Amino acid sequence: MAQERLQPKKPEEKVILDERGILDLPYLILTLLLVAIGLIMLFSASYARAYTDSGTSTYYFARQGMFALAGIAIMLFVSRINYQIWRSFSFLILAGSIFLLMLVPLIGTEEGGATRWIYLFGISFQPSEIVKLGVVLAFAAMISVYRERMKTFRYGVLPFAVILAVVAGLLVLEPHLSATIIICAAGAAMMFLGGTQIRWFVILGVAAVIFAAVYLKVQGYASSRITAWLDPFSDPSDSGYQIVQSLYAIGSGGLMGLGLGKSRQKYLYLPEEHNDYIFAIVCEELGFVGATLVILLFVLLIVRGYWIAMHARDRFGALMVAGLTTLFALQVFLNIGVVTNFLPATGISLPFFSYGGTALMLQLFEMGLVLSVSRQNRNNLI
Amino acid sequence: MQANEKANRVVLSRTLFLMIVCGIVVFIPLIFKLYDLMIRQHDYFEELAIDNQTRSTSITAARGIIYDRNMNILATSATVENVFIDPNEIEKNGYDLAKIATGLSEILDVDADYIIEQAQDTTKRYKVIARKQTEETTQLVRDFINNTENIGGIYLEPDSKRYYPYGSLAAQVIGFVSADNVGAEGLEAYYNSMLEGTSGKIVTTKGNYGSEMLYSYEKYYDADNGDNLILTLDTTVQYYLEKNMEAAIEKYDVLNGAFGIVMDVNTGEILAMATMGSYDPNNYQEIYDDEMAKALEEQYQEAISNPEGSQAYEDGLAAYNAAVATARLQQWRNRVVSDGYEPGSTFKIITLASALEEGAVGVDDTFYCSGSTNSIKGRVDPLHCWKATGHGTQTTKEALGNSCNIAFADIGIALGGEKLYEYVENFGLREETGVDLPGEASGYFFNKGLLTDPNSQVSLTSASFGQTFKVTPLQLVRAISAVVNGGYLLQPYIVSEVQDSEGNTVLQNGRTVLRQVISEEASAIMREMLEYVVEGGTASNAQVAGYRIGGKTGTSEKIDVFDENGQPVDDLITSFVGIAPINDPQYICLVALDTPSTATGIYISGGVMAAPTVRDVLSDILPYLGVEPDYSDDEISAVNVATPDVVGLTEADAAEALKEKSLTYRVVGDGETVTDQIPVGGASVPGASEIVLYMGEEKPTDKITVPNFIGLSVAQANDTAANAGLYIQAKGTNKTDSNVTVTYQSVEAGVEVNRGTTITVEFTDHSARD
Repeated sequence: MAQERLQPKKPEEKVILDERGILDLPYLILTLLLVAIGLIMLFSASYARAYTDSGTSTYYFARQGMFALAGIAIMLFVSRINYQIWRSFSFLILAGSIFLLMLVPLIGTEEGGATRWIYLFGISFQPSEIVKLGVVLAFAAMISVYRERMKTFRYGVLPFAVILAVVAGLLVLEPHLSATIIICAAGAAMMFLGGTQIRWFVILGVAAVIFAAVYLKVQGYASSRITAWLDPFSDPSDSGYQIVQSLYAIGSGGLMGLGLGKSRQKYLYLPEEHNDYIFAIVCEELGFVGATLVILLFVLLIVRGYWIAMHARDRFGALMVAGLTTLFALQVFLNIGVVTNFLPATGISLPFFSYGGTALMLQLFEMGLVLSVSRQNRNNLI
Repeated sequence: MQANEKANRVVLSRTLFLMIVCGIVVFIPLIFKLYDLMIRQHDYFEELAIDNQTRSTSITAARGIIYDRNMNILATSATVENVFIDPNEIEKNGYDLAKIATGLSEILDVDADYIIEQAQDTTKRYKVIARKQTEETTQLVRDFINNTENIGGIYLEPDSKRYYPYGSLAAQVIGFVSADNVGAEGLEAYYNSMLEGTSGKIVTTKGNYGSEMLYSYEKYYDADNGDNLILTLDTTVQYYLEKNMEAAIEKYDVLNGAFGIVMDVNTGEILAMATMGSYDPNNYQEIYDDEMAKALEEQYQEAISNPEGSQAYEDGLAAYNAAVATARLQQWRNRVVSDGYEPGSTFKIITLASALEEGAVGVDDTFYCSGSTNSIKGRVDPLHCWKATGHGTQTTKEALGNSCNIAFADIGIALGGEKLYEYVENFGLREETGVDLPGEASGYFFNKGLLTDPNSQVSLTSASFGQTFKVTPLQLVRAISAVVNGGYLLQPYIVSEVQDSEGNTVLQNGRTVLRQVISEEASAIMREMLEYVVEGGTASNAQVAGYRIGGKTGTSEKIDVFDENGQPVDDLITSFVGIAPINDPQYICLVALDTPSTATGIYISGGVMAAPTVRDVLSDILPYLGVEPDYSDDEISAVNVATPDVVGLTEADAAEALKEKSLTYRVVGDGETVTDQIPVGGASVPGASEIVLYMGEEKPTDKITVPNFIGLSVAQANDTAANAGLYIQAKGTNKTDSNVTVTYQSVEAGVEVNRGTTITVEFTDHSARD
C-alpha cells in the first residue's frame, strides 16, 4: 500500500549506507552532461579574462575542473547515504547556516556594495547557499512530521513563516535580493506541497508584492536596475552597460552561433562573462540551437527531479527532492531571465556553468541527495 | 488512513503542478525571448556588437585641389595631426597628469590648466588638445611621449589642413573649410561633395581595453580622393582687379569696401571676382578690417572690465560674440553674387537697349533737357537732372553719353512699363544667374502693377534711370554682356572642369546661352553708343590708349539704408562697367566703390572714381589677355618707346634712327657726330617726344627737381614739363577742355631726377558727374 511505503521504516533508519537500489540513471547522466558542458563553456568564456587576470588562460577552468571532480565524488558518496539521516541533521544544518549568515556582517568581505562572502577554514563561500539547503531539509522534516496539521495556521504557516522571516531578514541585510527571493519561493513551494491552505499563499503573495515594492523603494541601486531593465540603451555606458553587452553577445549568436570558442564579447567587453553572464557566451558561441538545447537539458533534469520526488518512498524524501528541484529550477530560470533581460538584473549564478568552486560542490552535494532518494524509489523503472 | 491517503494525493498532485510550472512553463517565455533576441533581432544586435568590438581607423580622403585656369593652385590640402589625450587611460594607469600637462603645454602652446581640465572627464577616452599640428610640432610630441617617464594616454591622429597659397586673393570666391574639413563658404561649400571625396577606413576587431582577440580580422576600405576643380578664374586678372580696387579705396577713401568682376562677354566665364574688405582664408576667423578689429577689441575689453560672472559681464561677452560673428559674415560675403545694389545710371544701358529693340526710340530721335521737368504724371516734386543747367537738345547717343535722367524718363515712358518689365525679366534681372557659387541673390524689382500704373509714371521713370530697385552685380554684368555680345543672355560660370583624382573629367561647364534678348543689329548700335560714352561722354576717364573701350558710369543713392535717427544716409555707390574692345567685345569689367568719403574733396561720381579704376584694370589685363593694342595718331604720345642709342652717329643717321621710333630731336652744339644724348639710349619716353642730341657740347649733368603737376590743365602740364626738361606720359581722358586737370603724378613733386626722365601724369575729366 502506498501509505505504508510512505511511512518511515524504523529498522531501515539505522542503515547508513544504502545499497539496495540503483540510483536514477537519467538524472545522473543529465547531471554529468550539464557539468561537462558547463566546464567546457566556462573554459571558453573565461579564456580571455583568465589570461588578463592571471596570465594563464586555463586558470579558471583548471580550478573549476578540480572542484567539479571533487563535487562528483561527493555526489556519488552522498547518493549512497541513507537520506533518512538528514531528517535529524536538518535543524542542525539550518541553525548552523543561520549562524554563518549572522557572521557575514561581522567577518564577511564586501564586494560591490554587498557583503555576501565569508572566509572560513581555508575556503570562501556564501552562507546563503548553505541556508538554501538548510531551509529545504528543515521544511521537509517539519512537513513530514506535521502532516495533516499543515492545514492549520499554527503548524502549517507560523513556524515556516518565522524561519523564512529570520533568514530573509538576514539576507536583506547583506543585501542579497536574489537569494531572498529563491529561498522564500522554494520555502513557499514546499509549504504548498505539504498541504498549507491556498488562502495563505494568496495573503503571502500580496505581502510579497508589498515587500517587493518597499524593498525596491528603499534600495536605490535596485531601482536604477529597473530603469536599466526597461530601457538598457538609455545608459549603455553605465547602468545599462552589462545588460547591453549581454544582449550584444546573445543577439550576435544567431541561429547556429559563432562557433565554440569564437565569442567576441568575452574579450573583456561583457563583465562576469565566466560567472553570472556565462549563458550569454553560450548563446553567442552555440547560437539559438545550442542555447535551446542547454535549456532543454536543464528542463529534463528538473522534470526528472520532480519525477523522483513523486516516486519517493516517503514524504520526507519527496519533499526534500521537490524542494531541491524547485531551488534548482528557480536558479536556472532567474539566471537566464536576467541574462536575456527578461527580468531585472540581480546577481545570480547558473548552476554547473558559472565559475565558483564551493557553489559547484554544494550543487553536486544536493544532486547527491536527490540521487540518494532515487535509490529507494518504489519504482526504479525509468 | 483515509486522511493520509488524501494527503498523499495532495502532495503528488501539487508536485505534478510544480513540475509543470517550474519545470516547463517558466522556460517557455525564455525560449521566446531568446528567439526574439537571437533570430528576430539578430541583424540589429550583430551590427551593434560589431560596432562595439571593432576599432575603425579612418583613412582620410584627400580633399580636391582648386586650380585657376592656368593650373595655379588656389587651394590644396596637407596632412597634419591632431593631438588628443585619453583621460580614462591616464587615470586608470595613474600617469603623471601634471607632467603631461606641462609637457604638452610647452610644445603645443596650450594652457596647462586647460589640459588638466580636459583630463578630469575620466569616463571619456578622447579629448582633443590641439588640432592640425604640422610635423615639426608632432615630432616634438612623439619625442616627449617616448622620452618621459610615467606618462601616457597621449595620441596623435591624422587630419588634413587646407592651405590657400594666394592668401586673400579671391577669398570670397574660393571660400574656406571649417575645422572639420567641410566646405563652409564659396566654391569650397558649393562643390563640397565633389571636393571632399569619401574617406576610407581600416576595421580591426579588438578586445576591450585594446586586448588581442584570438579570432580577429581586419578589413580595408579604400579612401576615394576628392575631385579637383579647374576654374575659369585667372589669378593674374584677379590680382590686377584687386590691386586697382585696393588703390581706389585708398585714393578715394572708400568707407564700405568695393566689389568688382571681370567676365568673358561671349562665354560667361568669370575671370575675376572680388569683394574688398576681404580676409585670408588661411585664417578665416580673424577680422581683417583694422577699424572693425579695433572696435571689437574695445568692446571685448569693456565687457570683461565688469566683474566676472555678473550680468553685465555675461551680456557684454554675448554682445561681443554676436558682433564678431557679424563681422566675420561680413568679410566672408561675396557681394558680387549675394547682395543686390541700386545700379543707377549703368542700368540706362538696359533701358535704351530695350527701347531700341522695340523701336520705341530711334537713333536719330532727340531729347530736350532743361535741368528739370514737371511733366511726369503722378510726380509731386520736379525731376532734376544731375546737371542743373540742363543738357539742352540731345540725340539718343548724346543722352546716353550725358547720362541724362530727363531724357531717360522720356525713353522709359516711350517704351512703357509693360515692355520695360518684360525686358528686365528677359535680361535675367529677376532671376538667379545660376552661377556655380553659393548664396546667390536675385535682386528686387518693382512689381508689374507699379510700372504699368496709368495714373503714375513715377516708378516707371525711376526704373528707367536705374533708381529705387536692386540687382546683383553679376546679374547686371550678365545683362550688359547680352546687350553688347549680340543679344545673348548667358549663364555665368566659374568652374570650367571638375576632374577626379586620376584626371578623368567628371563635369565640364561651357558657354550656355539661355536666350537671345535683343537682335544683333540693336546690339551693334548699343556698342557704338557705349563707345561714345567713353569717347565723348561721362566716361572719358575710362579711356585706355590703344584700346577701344565702351562703358557706362553710375552713381546711385542707397535708398534703403538709414542712419541712427531714421534718416536716409547720403551714402553713394559709384560704379563703372566697361567693355573692351567695344568694336569686338571680349571682356566686361564692373567696379563699384561703396561710399567714397567726402573728406578727399574729389567729386563723388562713377565717372571720376570708378571709371579710372576700371581703366587701370583694363590697361593691366588687356595686354596680359593678349588683346592687341591699336594706337591712333593722337595716342602715339601715350605709348612709350625705347630711345635708340645714336651716340657716334652723324646727324643724318641719328635722325633716321629717331624717325623710325617716331621721335623728334633738337641739336645742341655744332660737331660732326653725336657725342651725347638726353635721354640716354634704351630709356623709355612717350612717343613723339623730342630727344636732345649733343654734338660736341657738354651734356648738363645736374639733377632736376620734379615740379608739381596736380591741378594743372593739359596745356599747363605740357609747358611745365618742357620747361623742366622732363617728359610726361599722359594717362586718362584725352579731352583737353578746362574741366580736365592732373590728378596724379608718378613721381612726387620735389624729388630730384635726371634730366629727360619720363613722368606719368593722369588727367581726369571733372565734368564726369555721373
